[in-house]
Amino acid sequence: MAAFDDHHPPSARLLSDCVHCGFCLPSCPTYVLWGQEPDSPRGRIYLMEQGLQGEPLSDSMVGHFDACLGCMACVTACPSGVQYDRLIEDTRAQVERRHRRPARQRLLRWAIFQLFPYPKRLAVLRGPLRLYQATRLRLFRGPSTLETLESLAPPLRSVPKLPTFIAAAGPRRARVGMLTGCVQRAFFPEVNAATARVLAAEGCDVVIPRTQGCCGALSIHNGRRTEAERFARAMVDSFDGVDYLVVNAAGCGSALKDYGELLADDPGYGPRARTLADRVRDLSEILIELGPVALRHPLPISVAYHDACHLGHAQGVRAQPRKLLGSIPGLVLRELADPEICCGSAGIWNVLNPEPARDLGDRKARSALATGADLLVTANPGCFMQIAAGVRRAGGRLRTAHTAQVLDASIRGVQI
Amino acid sequence: METATRVADRLRGRVRLITDRHELRTYECDGLAQYKVIPALVALPRTTAEVALTVQACAEAGVPFVARGSGTGLSGGALPHADGVLIVTAQMRDIVAVAPDDERAVVQPGVINLDITRAATPSGYYYAPDPSSQQICSIGGNVAENSGGAHCLKYGFTTNHITGLEIVTPDGAVERIGGRAPDPPGYDLLGSFVGSEGTLGIATEVTVRLTPLPEAVRTLLAAYATTDEAGAATSAIIAAGIVPAAIEMMDALAIEAAEAAVHCGYPEGAGAVLIVELDGPQSEVDAQFAMVTQLCEASNAFALRVAAGDEERALFWKGRKSAFAAVGRISPDYIVQDGVIPRTALPEVLRRIAEIAAESGVRVANVFHAGDGNLHPLVLFDDAIEGQAERAEAVSGAILDLCVAHGGSITGEHGVGMDKAKYMPRMFTDGDLDTMQLLRCAFDPDGLANPGKVFPTPRLCGEVPGRHRGVHPLQEAGLAEVF
Amino acid sequence: MDALAALREAIGDAARPAGDADAVAGVPARFVAAPASTVETSAVVRAAAAHDLSIVVRGAGTKQHWAAPPREVDLVVETARMSGIVEHAAGDLIAIARAGTPLHELQHLGDQQLALDGPIPGATIGGTVAANTSGPRRMAYGTVRDLIIGITFVRADGVVAKAGGKVVKNVAGYDLAKLLTGSYGTLGVITECAFRLHPRPAATATVAARAATPEAVGAALSGILGARLAPTAVEVDAPASGGFTVSVQLAGVSVESRVEAVQRLIGGESIEAPQWTYPWDSGDAGLKLTMPLSRIPVVLQAVLGVRERHGVALHVSGSIGTGVLYAGLPATGDVAAVVKDLRSVCESVVVLTAPASLRAGLDLWGPVPGLELMRRIKARFDPDGRFAAGRFVGGI
Repeated sequence: MAAFDDHHPPSARLLSDCVHCGFCLPSCPTYVLWGQEPDSPRGRIYLMEQGLQGEPLSDSMVGHFDACLGCMACVTACPSGVQYDRLIEDTRAQVERRHRRPARQRLLRWAIFQLFPYPKRLAVLRGPLRLYQATRLRLFRGPSTLETLESLAPPLRSVPKLPTFIAAAGPRRARVGMLTGCVQRAFFPEVNAATARVLAAEGCDVVIPRTQGCCGALSIHNGRRTEAERFARAMVDSFDGVDYLVVNAAGCGSALKDYGELLADDPGYGPRARTLADRVRDLSEILIELGPVALRHPLPISVAYHDACHLGHAQGVRAQPRKLLGSIPGLVLRELADPEICCGSAGIWNVLNPEPARDLGDRKARSALATGADLLVTANPGCFMQIAAGVRRAGGRLRTAHTAQVLDASIRGVQI
Repeated sequence: METATRVADRLRGRVRLITDRHELRTYECDGLAQYKVIPALVALPRTTAEVALTVQACAEAGVPFVARGSGTGLSGGALPHADGVLIVTAQMRDIVAVAPDDERAVVQPGVINLDITRAATPSGYYYAPDPSSQQICSIGGNVAENSGGAHCLKYGFTTNHITGLEIVTPDGAVERIGGRAPDPPGYDLLGSFVGSEGTLGIATEVTVRLTPLPEAVRTLLAAYATTDEAGAATSAIIAAGIVPAAIEMMDALAIEAAEAAVHCGYPEGAGAVLIVELDGPQSEVDAQFAMVTQLCEASNAFALRVAAGDEERALFWKGRKSAFAAVGRISPDYIVQDGVIPRTALPEVLRRIAEIAAESGVRVANVFHAGDGNLHPLVLFDDAIEGQAERAEAVSGAILDLCVAHGGSITGEHGVGMDKAKYMPRMFTDGDLDTMQLLRCAFDPDGLANPGKVFPTPRLCGEVPGRHRGVHPLQEAGLAEVF
Repeated sequence: MDALAALREAIGDAARPAGDADAVAGVPARFVAAPASTVETSAVVRAAAAHDLSIVVRGAGTKQHWAAPPREVDLVVETARMSGIVEHAAGDLIAIARAGTPLHELQHLGDQQLALDGPIPGATIGGTVAANTSGPRRMAYGTVRDLIIGITFVRADGVVAKAGGKVVKNVAGYDLAKLLTGSYGTLGVITECAFRLHPRPAATATVAARAATPEAVGAALSGILGARLAPTAVEVDAPASGGFTVSVQLAGVSVESRVEAVQRLIGGESIEAPQWTYPWDSGDAGLKLTMPLSRIPVVLQAVLGVRERHGVALHVSGSIGTGVLYAGLPATGDVAAVVKDLRSVCESVVVLTAPASLRAGLDLWGPVPGLELMRRIKARFDPDGRFAAGRFVGGI
């Protein structure tokens, strides 16, 4: 039985764009770790082509597809413009439908997708998690799924709930919807609060619908297309009548920008999805687009900025956050070595692949610590957790903050 | 197949192996995707000892082996042998030592070319040979192909930057030649090995010469209406006694592709662009730069840009370095050629290439090292259209003939591999090729190291004929050891 | 037909019986043949092979006393009549010359040069390539192996072989030009060589400064290298009478500011560029020492120790910019002991030349890594051991 069926297989035309030059290899985290062709973008493309030629979807093939982080560093590196992101997404959907994984893996994936895309369910975990953290117990050792989850969980603090509407400070320049996310909402509510404040300070009316659920990023990035479409429709329904939909989580922003593609087959939602997708902006994008007006107070700190893959590679947004941070008086911006290599979070990849994720997290932590900066700033909750865990393992100290929190502190004139 | 299984049995548990069919197929070609052969087995050694073990196992089983670094070669040098073992060095990527006081670095063969420079830069040094694929190509591959790059007009090729090698010869023995000091006594084994395309053995450790980072670098981009004018400018620069660090040229079609790929912002409407780079001591660079700018202006450049800093300089180069892969955007398929001509023949040869292209209805984009006459015609075609592939191949061959006819070479830096083996007789006589194969027989009498590459017809090595003159050499060796 | 008749059939009167003056390093020869072209050389070697003659090649005969004496010499192949520049393509920065051409003819080719120093006046291209001689400017330009881009030679069976070409950029086939470089005539008769050229610089200058100790020499070198002045040569001269002189050669469009920079670093003054030559006279022992750059002070310290310990007038001079030094001492000194001591601190010490009486008792080459491979190469190229038998490493 051939690997792929006719429902959105990886496109032969897109595959043929690959000229086999190998420029993608040095930026692929799995190639950097393992030095093996089948775990490189070029190799994975080759496996997809084999599938199209009639080869069956073997365990080894699936293993290599699953090992892909979906970080899209290869898309940035590729001089021939291969749309690897489309290819891996379509391939993953096929794998999900047509390949039966071992029982343990299926159970783990089921558990993850029962939890992560549901902010209310995540919220239920907050209480027990805070308690566990207060005991300072570490029940799990060594790279494993549970240890990873334990190491990733950030220290929780209590933050008041967000209102559904926040008026612009001063003249209104735009009406924006704000995505509150799932992991972000449950574990980093202070980031959402800071984001809302910054938007308001820069002259935006901020609309925060309570009906919003998950954007479906984790689902689409892991081949669960039907589920992703369901989440997308609900999201389209939630956000109506906004000039922009502002996102402060890189993974979510990249998935939302692809909604037109995701719901292309849906005659009803398709056009609305495309309209919404065109209005999606990362926080740093919209602030630069509107042009900052709120006064910035000095923040005399050194900041290492980490490009989240779904912001840098997937959305091409690299200059804007740097510009925003760089314009804060007294703030010194430092660059990490090897910025294009993923920190190893990659959505739920670190939960599914604890050992290599730990290696990548350690590398990124080393680069971050080597900058000697006071603060690590990035725009994705997954990256926070991953890098913070790596820093802890290295015995280092490095505070982390979201771009929004740094801007918020500067605008409000408080220290971060 | 059977004998490769024997090799696998010998190595299992001692060297990492790949036997899964799907995974083996990902190794069936290198950067030259037109030729594909599935290897019987892939080995991924991590140390010299593992390489030696693998080669020994092959030697004992009479199984051929092919070495591969990052698999980015453009002549099919790492094309596997269907019954053979592909020995991949990608996991041998330690930088063993960086010794700026000796101006040397010692690295494993899987280390990426650019990573050597990255490791040396903090000490004020870099590794000079810079192929366009330097962000991914391995130093072991560079050694095999004697890779060049844009800066080899001034700085030479890989062979001018290797002072030591540890190699595994085709019988599985490990030899160390040279080291950090120059001029090892005896025959130039280093010079013989570099550029031998994997046919004499596998390099398992490489000692390279590091070059001091220049005090000053200045790069300019000049746009011309025609390649003739750009070529004339190049001649004028050479005639003025200046040897730039690099002079690169791209024609209109290549510029179009590069622009689409990386948005390098080259001047619009250019029939040719010239990138000239000078480096060295500040006073020298300043003096030369003034001369070069004058010469470019005098040669009718309609736009002249001087890179303001490192970022702009990188942007000038980005277009040139992505040119090959970038043509993938304007054509579904292409052949990249690698001919060399005496630089003075450039205008004439480019004209002929344009004629040949027009005659066969095939487009050719040109990118080249204008300083040393190394052309990279990119012959564009669409494999889906009947007959186009054959015509492209014919145009490719005609271009090589043109190069040889002008006293040039069929390959400036990509190597002969399996792609150009058939053209070797156009450049060398039977006597020439036979003599080269004497060297091969000395290293690899059983013909196991990368067979089928470089030479169109292999020479049987057989027994060494002839009497020995005077005292037998081995007796001589015995005497010498007494001293 | 006897051998001489066969040779005469090949090249007419240019073949003759040998005289006393034709002895090679004291080993008498039987015949001399002077071909005027590659074709004639091929005919000569074929005739020699048919009569099983051993062959030694002679250019200007300036290095007869280098390496070991040949075990026997039936035929001296003289290259004097194969002289002249075949092609000088200035626009392409290349020149092709026949093996018998004196090196100095290529050192000044209009605005261009073969940037190779010739330590011995009168030496031919062929001999220069076969012995791989070089001088101070190797630091900037490389040696023969970096400048040679093509070669034509005649094999032991008379077959003519070419490798490389006449373009600088060329990786087609094996680089046999490098194999033959420094092969001391043991693999074939070199008949023609193609070289890459460099422009002759508009200006040159040399700064020479005294240094008191080996450490001071090392410090001077580090300082010069760190200043990124792109010197053409950095040399040391340590005459037997004592002391060290470091000299730095600069070349290019303009040199004044760099001269000043050198003087700021190491003091000294601008001097006329000295005509460099080996630090030994005829009849002395001449050595070539190689070492990594960082070990130069250690080697120079060892030189001082050797002078004292063995009471020899050891004169050392050479390129500290590349780690290649030459040392000369009178043959009356304990050459073997000196060589042994220096071998313990250097990467390699080769006795380039010594009087015949001394050579028999010396290990001229020291350890030769890869010797077995070299033997195999020799066995393939010259299975009968026809060329220069016994002159080279390991008795090759």
